[in-house]
Amino acid sequence: MTIFILATLFSGAIFGFAASAEETAPMTDSHIARIRTNCVDAQSTLFQLHATDAGLRVNRGQIYESISTKLIAPFNSRIVLNRISDETLLSTAAQYDKQLEAFRQQYQLYEEAMSASLRINCVNQPVAFYDSVVDTREKRRLTHEAAADLHKTIQDYGVKVDMYAKNFQADKS
Amino acid sequence: MTEEELTADAHHLVGWEKHRFLVMVGMSIIIALMLVAVSMKLYESSGAAQLDLSRPGYEHVTEKVATSEVFKGFPAVGEIDKKVIEEFRTMYHKRAAQATNVDSFSGDVMSDAALAIDAPAAPVEPTE
Repeated sequence: MTIFILATLFSGAIFGFAASAEETAPMTDSHIARIRTNCVDAQSTLFQLHATDAGLRVNRGQIYESISTKLIAPFNSRIVLNRISDETLLSTAAQYDKQLEAFRQQYQLYEEAMSASLRINCVNQPVAFYDSVVDTREKRRLTHEAAADLHKTIQDYGVKVDMYAKNFQADKS
Repeated sequence: MTEEELTADAHHLVGWEKHRFLVMVGMSIIIALMLVAVSMKLYESSGAAQLDLSRPGYEHVTEKVATSEVFKGFPAVGEIDKKVIEEFRTMYHKRAAQATNVDSFSGDVMSDAALAIDAPAAPVEPTE
């Protein structure tokens, strides 16, 4: 029994070590050399992307913001004032506002990560630069997901408004 | 008070009191620097910095920001009837299409291969 437990612990330790070694596998010299050679061009590409994203964030942000403040909130307020409110419309609006805040925060984290990647002297610190790019890419993915969540909620609200219109007509007829 | 009296008074001042004017100027500068530091911290932490396209390097992006369109939105007060709901639906779906027609912040452009920082392919060993 004791031997079995020891064998299990030992094999677990071995597999655990192998898994962590795989996760933090050191870069090969040829990979580091490739990063060092191409990183200045990569940083130039990232700089362009950074600037383009800033414009995209402002344009998208204006549209997302206007949907909340100039369409959803006034419509919900109006149906509440007329005492014909719909719980699903109100809860979707609350969800949209939360997701909009999450999008803002996520973009800020992404932008800070990108700025950090651009500040690194990549010729002297190729590994740090690579790690920073990986981190930035992950934050960009999360920003993309936050935007996709917003898109889904925008469409959901549209579907619910269509339902509301249909029910409203049915009630009136 | 005559000039002689002022000079006599000045002789009675001790230590920093002789440099009160310089101390006031120095303190003003220190307070101004502290306020600037606090405002810069707020500027960065609030997310305003990320939206500020007047920063160096973003001038060309400013031109691409849509400023011409003024979207009035839907009025928050008034009656609700079939026509009003229809009006809102049209307005909403138009705006929703503008919001969802762009797949923003996709990750492909930042892949290792796109940035040419991917691991080089392992050399192919010659076959016997």
